[in-house]
Amino acid sequence: MEGPTVEREDRTQRPLTGEFWAAVDRGELVRPVCGDCGQSFFVPQFACPRCQSIRWAYEPSSGRGRVYSHTTIHRPPTPAFDAPYVLADVDVEEGWHLLTWIVDCEPDHVAIDMAVTVRFVTGPDGHRLPAFAPDETAR
Amino acid sequence: MSGSHPLHRVAIAGVAATEMARHLDTTSAEISLRAARAALDDAGLTVADVDGVAARWPGPGGTVFQPGSADWAEVFGRPLRWVCDTYPQGVPGALDAAAAVAAGLCQTAVVFGGQAGVMGGASVADYTRPDNEFIACWGSLTAAQFALVAQVYRHRFAPDPECVAAIAAAIRNAGSANPAAVMTGRGPFTAADVLSSPMVAEPFRLLDLCLATEGAAAMVLTTAERARDLPQPPVAIMGGGSEWHRQQYVNPPRYDEVWSLGADAAQRAFELAELSPRDVDVFELYDINTYEVVRQFEMLGLCAVGEGADYLAEAGIGTNGRHPLNTDGGLLSYSHIGWGGPTLKIVEAVRQLRGTAGPGQVADAEVALVTGAGAGAQYHNVMILGRS
Repeated sequence: MEGPTVEREDRTQRPLTGEFWAAVDRGELVRPVCGDCGQSFFVPQFACPRCQSIRWAYEPSSGRGRVYSHTTIHRPPTPAFDAPYVLADVDVEEGWHLLTWIVDCEPDHVAIDMAVTVRFVTGPDGHRLPAFAPDETAR
Repeated sequence: MSGSHPLHRVAIAGVAATEMARHLDTTSAEISLRAARAALDDAGLTVADVDGVAARWPGPGGTVFQPGSADWAEVFGRPLRWVCDTYPQGVPGALDAAAAVAAGLCQTAVVFGGQAGVMGGASVADYTRPDNEFIACWGSLTAAQFALVAQVYRHRFAPDPECVAAIAAAIRNAGSANPAAVMTGRGPFTAADVLSSPMVAEPFRLLDLCLATEGAAAMVLTTAERARDLPQPPVAIMGGGSEWHRQQYVNPPRYDEVWSLGADAAQRAFELAELSPRDVDVFELYDINTYEVVRQFEMLGLCAVGEGADYLAEAGIGTNGRHPLNTDGGLLSYSHIGWGGPTLKIVEAVRQLRGTAGPGQVADAEVALVTGAGAGAQYHNVMILGRS
C-alpha cells in the first residue's frame, strides 16, 4: 500500500483514458465512438476495433444497460475493498460493455439480463466510479 | 505421424521441477536457475550445450537489451543464438523453442521459470490482481474474471454442483498422493468438502481454485536426432497450437466469445498429430479452477457444451478412468508457480510418457495432452506429446 505522503497520479491526465475519468468526476458516463464507422467501444484503444480508424471521440452514454454476467466477491484482492460486493460485466445500450459494480441491490438479487442504470459511487481510494444499480424504470 | 512437419524433428530431452512450497527462502532467479540446471542434468547435458534460452529476464524491463536485468547469457557463461522472453513457459514456450530448433536458429534450448521469495502473507498473489485501470478500481482478481465466464455457463446449463465439485476433489486427491505436492497428505477430499469450503468469487469456492506457491520448472528441447543419443527416452511434440483472443485482464471475458477458446488450436494440433482427442491417454489440463476442466472437455469436443460435468462424472478422471487428468495434483494441489506453472504441465506429461510419474502414473500412457491458461485469461494453448 502506498503511504499517505505519496502524491496521487491525476487520472484525468492519462493519455487515451483521461477524458473518461474527467467525465466520471463530473458525474457523466462517456464512451469512445468511432468517427468513421460509428462503433462504440471500450476500453479506450488508440484505434477503433471495428475499422481501425484513429478518428474517434468520447460521446455521452445513456448509462442504461443490462447485466451480461456477475459474480459476488467474498474474498477481496486487497483489504481496501469491503466484501461482499458484486462485480458485473454490463452491456450498455449503445453497444459497449464494461466491468463495474452492481450497487443498491442485495447480491442474491442480481441476475443475468437485469436492467441497470449508471450510479456514481466513491471507490476505496476516494475516486468516483461509474457503478450500476437496478433500473426501476426499465420495461 | 509423418515426421515431415518441422515440429516433428524436435524432442523434449529433459524436464525438471524444484521443490514446491508456499514460500521458499530464495529468489526467483536462483530457483529458476536451479530448475534449468536440473532439466539439463535430466537430459544428460550441461550449460555448455545450451545455445537457446526462453526465460524471464527479471529486472527493469527484462530481456537481454535491458541493463540491470538478470542476464542468463552471462550466468550461463556463453553467448546465445536464440532468446525468447515473451511467453517463456508452458505450451507457447515449448512451441516457440521447438520452432527455433526446427528452423536451426539454435540446437538446444532450455525453457525455464518460476518464483521464490515473493509470496508473503497476502491471500492472493500480485499477479492475480490485474493492475489495469478499468480492473483494479473494482477490486477484481483473476478468479473473478473466470467467475464471470462460469456464471453465464451456470445460468444457461445449470451443471450439477456435485459433479463439478467432484473434479476438484479428484485432482486434490491426486495431489494428496503426490509427495512433491504442496498439499501432499492433505485430504482425501469429497465433493461435499469442496462445496462446504468458503466462497471466494461465486461460483468458485476455495477448493475450486488453484494455489499460488513457489518453485520453478524447466524443460530442454533439442533436435530429435540429438535426443536419440541422450539418456532419457525422447518425448515427441506431435502437435500444438495457440489462440490469443484478447489481452488478458483488461476487458472482462465474455462467455459467448471464450467458452470454446482453444477449439481451433486443438483442431490444428490434433490434425498435425494425426490423432483425435479420444486417443489421449492422459490429460494435463490447466486447472485454474474446476469449471475450466469442464470447459476444456467441451472445447475438445469429447462431450456437448453444457454436459461436461456429467460426462466427466460418468467417464472417470482418476488414473483408472477413461480420462485420467492432472495426475500430479495440478495447479489446485501440486503447485502453481507464476512464471513456471504452465511448464509444470509439460514436466508431468513427459514423466507420464516415460513411465516415471509416481503414484499418478497412468499405465502405458503413450499420448498426453497439455494445455495452458483459459477462458478468463482470454488465451489458450494446446500441445500433444507422445513417446518417440
